[in-house]
Amino acid sequence: MFKSETKTRVLEIGNFAAGYAGKLFAHAGCDVVRIEPERRKACWVSERAMDLFLHHDKRRVNTQDHELVEQLANKADVVVVDGESADEISSVGFERWQTPIRVAITPFGLTGPDRNRAATNATILALGGYSNLMGDPDREPLTLPGHYVDFQSGGYAYTAASACLLGHHEDTIDIGMLEVIMSLSQFTTVMWTCAQTVRSRHGNDFWSVVPTTLFRCKDGWVYINIVPGFWDPFTTAIDLPELTLDPRFLTNNLRMTNRDALHEIVAQAFIQWTRSEIQHRAEVARIPLGAVLTFPEVLDDPHLRERNMWQKIRYNDGDSVVSPRPPFVMQGIERDTLSLTEPERANDG
Amino acid sequence: MARGPLENVRILDLTHVWAGPLATRILGDLGAQILKIEAPMGRGPTVYPTVPLGGFIGGEPGDEPWNVNAVFVKLMRNKKSLALDLKTEAGRNTFLELVAICDVVIENFSARAMASLALDYEHLKQSNPQIIHVAMPGYGLSGPYSERVAFGPTVEPMSGLTSVMGYSADEPRATAMAMPDPTSAVSATAAVVTALRMRELTGEGRLVEMSLHESATSYSGPWLIDTQLGHEPTQIGNRHPELAPHGIYPCLGEDNWVAIGCRSDEEFQSLCNVCELDIDRTWSLKERKSNERILDAAIANWTRDRSYKTIEDSLRDIGIPAGKVLDTEGMLANPQSIDRGFFVPLEQGTPMPGNPVKMSAISSEDWEPCPKLGEHNEEVLSEWLDFDPARIQTLYDEGVIVNRPPR
Repeated sequence: MFKSETKTRVLEIGNFAAGYAGKLFAHAGCDVVRIEPERRKACWVSERAMDLFLHHDKRRVNTQDHELVEQLANKADVVVVDGESADEISSVGFERWQTPIRVAITPFGLTGPDRNRAATNATILALGGYSNLMGDPDREPLTLPGHYVDFQSGGYAYTAASACLLGHHEDTIDIGMLEVIMSLSQFTTVMWTCAQTVRSRHGNDFWSVVPTTLFRCKDGWVYINIVPGFWDPFTTAIDLPELTLDPRFLTNNLRMTNRDALHEIVAQAFIQWTRSEIQHRAEVARIPLGAVLTFPEVLDDPHLRERNMWQKIRYNDGDSVVSPRPPFVMQGIERDTLSLTEPERANDG
Repeated sequence: MARGPLENVRILDLTHVWAGPLATRILGDLGAQILKIEAPMGRGPTVYPTVPLGGFIGGEPGDEPWNVNAVFVKLMRNKKSLALDLKTEAGRNTFLELVAICDVVIENFSARAMASLALDYEHLKQSNPQIIHVAMPGYGLSGPYSERVAFGPTVEPMSGLTSVMGYSADEPRATAMAMPDPTSAVSATAAVVTALRMRELTGEGRLVEMSLHESATSYSGPWLIDTQLGHEPTQIGNRHPELAPHGIYPCLGEDNWVAIGCRSDEEFQSLCNVCELDIDRTWSLKERKSNERILDAAIANWTRDRSYKTIEDSLRDIGIPAGKVLDTEGMLANPQSIDRGFFVPLEQGTPMPGNPVKMSAISSEDWEPCPKLGEHNEEVLSEWLDFDPARIQTLYDEGVIVNRPPR
């Protein structure tokens, strides 16, 4: 945790999106006060796990007293609030607060015909074009597990509010989660607007680059992404250099045409090796390949351990877990052990 | 150019592909001055051998296909282009002169690339001790995997996400979105503003590492902690551990689907009433979770013969979350997106996804479209570095700067 910004006061109100923004502010050394929500949104993990991930190194307050919240907001430099609708944001007094930088995160934004429309992360991912791409072509589309929608929205909120702090600019920031999701696509939109092609679902297959999909191996699964420049070294890596001369596979277009035959050949090769054996071959050949890891395996990953990915968080007067640090590393900044404190009931003090 | 709170920040953008250019697009939307340093062949050759994945802006390659590659153009608004060959001594020296007057250098090369150009942080800070260098190699600059080749789709399963994504434990699925790329992009913008704020307070520049692998792993944080608390998540398809019903259901027409979820007992009871479901409306969440198969079948029976519009109209008024699985055409036609002007017809009228950050200080009306390759060579070199026309011409003559691909 940085120790250089203790004067910046941030008030955080809400669930996971505001919580993630607050987490980044806390990591940056700001004084973050969190107002616990009246009702917690449904979560993909236990309440304790999410609190440990999001709310360490914040002061947490239990209150639904709008006057008190307004007093706190008026003393803050930044307030970040998330809610299930524009009206919910209004109902807590957002427009009245005198905070220089006010950020509201809602499913559809504060304006427009859907501003009060009910949503879940899954409906946002559906309307935002993600679900249409995920899953098998002959089955129902898949949604994305976890809190991607919340965390990406919180990340945008943190960046926008920090930009205002940098520019010494006061403003009200309106972030709609649907727009967050629609802003984060690579080529799906232009495939339609420029090439009149609807990108659709292909299971694990990336479709336009072959072979790029998930393959079963001796002890699990691995994903390969063999763009044309990696084709030759890939064939060497799997001990099948003759594939480079096979007329069915000479170009990516031909590999697309003959994908089933190629996938069968690759599948037969991979099933004889373990994930680590295939990974080693990929490293030697310098081709992109990643093993499917379980969460315990991620926690044991030697690379992440060597890079000090894990931060210790103390809670309950003695218990501790490790949490991944925020995604970026500031050279020269040392991190303390973090702590999660329980919420306190607000009082006049 | 774009206005915004970051308008006094100059960023040298060496990024390519997706995560890096998306990060700088977000920062440009917030007003930062983004100078894209492009390799002479960075946009490909003068003749494209195939139609790129996203096609060409306007539908045709035209005389300058390298300037209308839609996937590239989509990420390039509000940026200036300097096409500069960093592998030449003059190119490298010019770049270092720019470093001296800029705030941030951001790149997503492999771990060894910047050092091989003698442009790693140790060299950059000699030109500007206050420079912030954001490095985005796939696995970071150090550690056992730092030499591995990293693409978003191959990094994704190493975050643990694939172990909970899919139809069942035997059917894992990738996201098809190369998830580490957009998580890295948004996280990189957070890294940039954090480093700038720290510099404002301390006066010090800094090296910031921002790897694809660690951004994806960080987003898995709640699961990683829950694992230590004794919980073991697995693939549960479209279901949700704390909501039921929660799924994606067929509706009338070919490949039409709607996502529906109930967030409370009251919403479940309302859903039962509207859908006339033949199930016990008093079921608690626990009972609904243990009867999900029955619940999902009943809802699918109701949705299957109805249009999405009918379903939406029925559920919207009673406050139950429902969202059609949309493709791009549907997203563009969404009245909410239209009302908020989300898609911006910036590139020859082609609608492009806009900025989800709405505030008075920024407006898409100020935005500039993707520049041509090297469009700002003269402007940047003369106005930012005081190069005279003869010096600029020499750089052209020596191929150090270009305004079209050399071949």
